Amino acid sequence: MSPSRGPERASRPALARRPRPPERYADARPGEIIAASPGVAALGALGFAATLFVLVWLAWRGSRDLGYAWQWYRVPHEIFRRVGGGWQAGPLVEGLLVTLGVSLRAMVLALLLGLATAAARLAGTPFLRGLARAHIEIIRGTPLLVQLYLFYFILAPLVGLGRFWTGTLALAVFESVFAAEVMRGAIRSVAPGQWEAARALGLGERTIWRRVILPQTVLPMLPPLAGILVSLIKDSAIVSVISVFDLTNQGRNIISDTFMSFEIWFTVAALYLMMTLSLSTLVNGIERRVRRLRA
Amino acid sequence: MAALAGGLAYVAHRFGSVLHYRWDWGSLGGALLHWSVAHHAWRAGLLLEGLEATLRLALWSSVLTFLLGFGFALCRISRSLYWRLLGGLYVGFVRNMPLLVFLFLFYFFLSSQILPLLGLDRLGHGAGPAARFWLGLLFGPPRELSAFVTGVFCLALFEGAYVAEILRAGLQAVPRGQWEAALGLGLGRRETLWRVILPQALRASLPALAGQVILLIKASSVASLISIPELTYMANEVSSSNDHVFETWTAAAALYFVVCFGAASLFARWERARGTALAAGPRA
Repeated sequence: MSPSRGPERASRPALARRPRPPERYADARPGEIIAASPGVAALGALGFAATLFVLVWLAWRGSRDLGYAWQWYRVPHEIFRRVGGGWQAGPLVEGLLVTLGVSLRAMVLALLLGLATAAARLAGTPFLRGLARAHIEIIRGTPLLVQLYLFYFILAPLVGLGRFWTGTLALAVFESVFAAEVMRGAIRSVAPGQWEAARALGLGERTIWRRVILPQTVLPMLPPLAGILVSLIKDSAIVSVISVFDLTNQGRNIISDTFMSFEIWFTVAALYLMMTLSLSTLVNGIERRVRRLRA
Repeated sequence: MAALAGGLAYVAHRFGSVLHYRWDWGSLGGALLHWSVAHHAWRAGLLLEGLEATLRLALWSSVLTFLLGFGFALCRISRSLYWRLLGGLYVGFVRNMPLLVFLFLFYFFLSSQILPLLGLDRLGHGAGPAARFWLGLLFGPPRELSAFVTGVFCLALFEGAYVAEILRAGLQAVPRGQWEAALGLGLGRRETLWRVILPQALRASLPALAGQVILLIKASSVASLISIPELTYMANEVSSSNDHVFETWTAAAALYFVVCFGAASLFARWERARGTALAAGPRA
């Protein structure tokens, strides 16, 4: 916290009441959406559109000089194809389903593992607490790719795990550590008075957790957890290196068949964007609903 | 707890009885350090060479990431709609894409379109031995230079979006009164930004920036997939040539852990030192 926070906050009401500063200073702070005159805003939007146009034109010209033949018309075939009388999912949709399968399973596992780790760090015996701490530090301090290789080359042959589950498990373990830290932070952020009040009312330890503490952690926990789940979807692309046929891997396969690098990678990126955006929208909706329930 | 113990016991049992894995940590020695007969000296093995490349990659992409992030953070808080839209486009585009997809997309683009223009292949040719030594230390062997530069650009372009958001949040967290006071004292907008707002914003975003550097070190492992010979790439090579998969990958993970944990402790210590210095210093 900067030392100026205290006095600054104290003087807020005075600031609100004083007369508006001269126009020159009124829009001084960056980051605020300033009600610029519609003409200026339109000019900005127009300039942006022009820049986009130039960028696309440069890319198009560059690819033409390279002899790159754009073949967008072939992309729909990779998404859905007509076989006989009916429609059939193309490789991209198949990959999308695998990515969704890996991500959803890994999400559930990551949340459960994260909760267990957070509980161990907060309420376990000293041994368990130390174990959880070491687990968190080790997983956080090594790259996901290296963990995936460790899982794939060592754990999978040991216990006879398939590639799909190896990838899912590695992803879940990696993200669970971040989820655990978020959960721990949210639980710790509940005011100590809540514990004291609940104990003074004679509630049992389990009831306190279930009815008093955990409900209060939901709201502060949601935004960072949503961030973790969105990164989980994106990190799931890495399972393609152990040849799980997810979206990224299908994209690579199509490119090695058709040489449509740009078209396919842009389509793949757009599909990932669709997944992450719908997840963020979903979590935003949940957050709004929880907020309304509490109000 | 019981499930955990049971699982570990099962894995240990499989290790001992089913796989008959022959442990040989000695085989790893050559991959870390080996005695070079030609040079009469100890030389870094493949894994340590990879670590060196990882550190190099992380260093240069951190620098570039920070510059890019700062530029786009300024875009995002600009008063002009044009810059805000441009910054929003970049951040939205990059942050919603997996690193792997981004790498493949830009690897193809950069290595086929931009890099030939730079003429990096000819860079080391005219240099003397001393210059060559420094170039090698800072940028790696000349023949791998263009792959290295591609990797640096890809990582920096990706992580730059995250740093931009961290810096934007830091800049916007500075109380409005700071702007008003500075402008009221007669400072210009640019001067206010540089001398008043930015120092406070940097202080606020330091922990997040440090975390991002560590994420960058770990993300650099993905660069192995576009054939940049860093630690993960080397570990792959070593494990497939000496057949001691477990030892090699454990060593690679340990090296990453040492680097990341060391960096995290260093940053934490720096933060604490800054914190106490701030508390003790004059109230500026």
